[in-house]
Order: sequence, then structure tokens, then C-alpha cells
Amino acid sequence: MKLTRRDFLKISGAATAGLALSGMGFDLRPVHAFSMELRTKDAKESPTICCYCAVGCGIICHTSTQTGQVVYTEGDADHPINGGSLCAKGAAAYQIAQNDRRITKVLYRAPNASEWEEKSWDWTLKEIAKRVKKSRDASFTAKNEKGLVVNRCDGIVSVGSAALDNEECWTYQAMLRALGLVYIEHQARI
Amino acid sequence: MAGKSFFIDTTRCTACRGCQIACKNWNQNGASMTKNTGSHQNPPDLDAQTYKLVRFSESVDKNGKLAWYFFADQCRHCIEPPCKDAIEAYVEGAVIHDEKTGAVVYTDKTREANFDEVKDSCPYNIPRLSEDGRIVKCTMCFDRVSAGLLPACVKVCPTGAMNFGDREEIMAMANKRLEVVKAKFPNAQLLDADEIRTIYLVVDDPKAYHDFAIASAASGIGRKLAMRRMTKPASRALRAMLPG
Repeated sequence: MKLTRRDFLKISGAATAGLALSGMGFDLRPVHAFSMELRTKDAKESPTICCYCAVGCGIICHTSTQTGQVVYTEGDADHPINGGSLCAKGAAAYQIAQNDRRITKVLYRAPNASEWEEKSWDWTLKEIAKRVKKSRDASFTAKNEKGLVVNRCDGIVSVGSAALDNEECWTYQAMLRALGLVYIEHQARI
Repeated sequence: MAGKSFFIDTTRCTACRGCQIACKNWNQNGASMTKNTGSHQNPPDLDAQTYKLVRFSESVDKNGKLAWYFFADQCRHCIEPPCKDAIEAYVEGAVIHDEKTGAVVYTDKTREANFDEVKDSCPYNIPRLSEDGRIVKCTMCFDRVSAGLLPACVKVCPTGAMNFGDREEIMAMANKRLEVVKAKFPNAQLLDADEIRTIYLVVDDPKAYHDFAIASAASGIGRKLAMRRMTKPASRALRAMLPG
């Protein structure tokens, strides 16, 4: 059997009535002011721009003056684009710096394999370069059917990256165009 | 009534879940195990790492029209919190009911309370048990609010769905918005506004949003807990009379 809150108060009220004089009644009043230290109290505030989509929201990055570590990020209330608000991705910017679940080593899963294996950056970058060259050589179109020079790499597509900032994106697309890619897409356009 | 309150205008919510993430970041809560349930609601329920959850509910009305509702679920910070009674039946001073804001804040002493009784006492199914034995939930960003800042979930909201302020201002805002919304949605209503500090505006049957959108009749204080509460002042008085 469940009692309603009203019944409950009735019961405890009756039980404590006799003890009211001893000052041990059932006190429903809120306790007195209670304080808690603000995590960002002594942190250094640096304005930055969200690294994700093309909206370009302002973020304040709070950094500990003792450890230099990011302690919190939040929307910049003075920023004309977002006025302090953020979406779920922007709100998660803190975790770019602070998240012990981020993968910090290269993991490689070979074709048809079910297990991931750890690889060195040296091996990884060489492998990427090797495979890009192989695909590019196999799919390169120097001239189209009209005989015009097009120098297109039709066998590779790029989608991304939402985690790059504007300048990184420029460098990235410049590299892709140098390879001859024409299928270049970015999350911010979708 | 003094203190602070939230106004959550579900008609403005786009379910971006910024509030859910901002809450996690401010409270430094980690990831929790989750699974795909065929809904964008993720994780499927509140947990010890998730004090705030945007619930997604689909329903079809009698005319066959689909409704897709978003409900940013969190602690209601009850004016008279039953969970405080349930916890303090076991351990005094484990719950801070702040005089200035009305925030209901659990402390580490909640470890000594009986979690099942606390969960059952909540009409909105909010408290959760953490791995280290503490009972946890939304704190109304008590530290931020005490320093004059907005709660993280309100600060982040890009659409104006999440609002926070002095009780009177929030009630005025909620009633004003209710009048506007009623013109288009005659079933619009504020949920349990007089009892709690997290006031939701919905445009349909609250059950179409979430089973616990309004106070659940099934909740309440168990008989055992009431007995415990009832006998406690007597045992304390007895202890006070004994020497040493």
C-alpha cells in the first residue's frame, strides 16, 4: 500500500505534535543559504569560434590559470551570431579538450578483419599516401571525350570534415583539388 | 512565492539536445552505455550521468495525424519535495532545499538513504543511483545560479524553449505564452505549475509527451518509510534524554 504525501504529512504531524515543545518537530522549511564554489571562478576566459558548422557561433573557453587545462566551454553571450546559445555539438566543445574516451592512437581494421589493431603514425600516413596514389592512378582522366585537358581524379570522393575550422578546410580542399578531385563535400553545406 | 523557476516552452523546442549536453558538461558527467531504440532519444532514459534528457515521443491522433513531441525532462524542484522526506528519513541534512532559490540539491550523504524509496517518492521519476552509491539528479546548477549565472541548460538554448528566472517573472512569462499558444492549440496547458519550479508548456495530452510529464498518481511514500519517519522524532528525543 502506498500513502499519499498528504497522508504522510498527517501521520508524521500527529506523531511529532507531542514533541513540538522539545523543538524536534518535522521542519518543512528550506534550510538556510548554502553555497558552492563556482568551477570557472578563477579561470581565464578566451573567446573562440565553434569549429563545427558554417554558422560560426562564439564560444568562451574557460582555462585554469594553474594547470592550463580547459575547465569549461560555453556560448559567448556577447557574440552577434549566437548570443550565448549553442547546439548539442557546440555545447560538447569542452570534450574536444577533455574526454578520456577520445582515441589517441591510430587503430586499423584490415579488409574483412573483425579486430582493430594499433598502428604507428608513420605506417598510417605512408599507407594512406600509397592507397591515394593507387586509386588516383587507376581513375585519372587527363582528357575528356572532346579531347579537352581536364586532369580529373574520378575515383576518390571527400566528405568532411566537420571537425576542421575554416582555415584547415581551405588547406584540405586545396590539397584535394591538387589531386584532381571534383567530388568534394562538407558537412556544413548539408 | 519567492525563489527561482524554469519555464520550458516545448512549442519552441527543436530537440537539438544542446541542453542535455550542456548539463553533462557543466556537471562533468561522463558517457553512459546506450542502445539504439529506433528513436533519437539517447540515452533511452535518465541515468546517473544524464540529469537532463530530451524525450522524443511519436503518437497518432484519432484523425490519423502524426504528432512528434519533444520533452526536455529534468528535476521539477518541487515546492515541497517528497524526495527530501524520503532521504532524510534515513539521513539528516542529505538534501539542501535552498531558501533563496528553492533548488533541491542532493549531497553525498544520500549514499545512506534507501534509493528505491527515494525513487518511488518522486512523482516525476527523476532520481537515479550512481555507481558510487550517491543518489543524483539535476542541481538547478546551484553553483552557477548562486553566482548570478543561468543554469547551463538555459544558457545554451538557441530557441528560447529553456527559460529561468525569479518565480513571479517566470509565472508571468508562462501564462503570457500560454495565452498566445492557446489561440492555435486549444489544449495547451502548463503542467503542475503551482507545485513545482520546472514549468512545462505543452499543447496536447501530457501523456503524449512522457508518462511522467505530470505527477504520477502511483508515486507516494511507502508505508515502511512513513512508519520510520513517524517514529524517528521519538527515538531522537529518547536519545537526547540518555546520558552520554
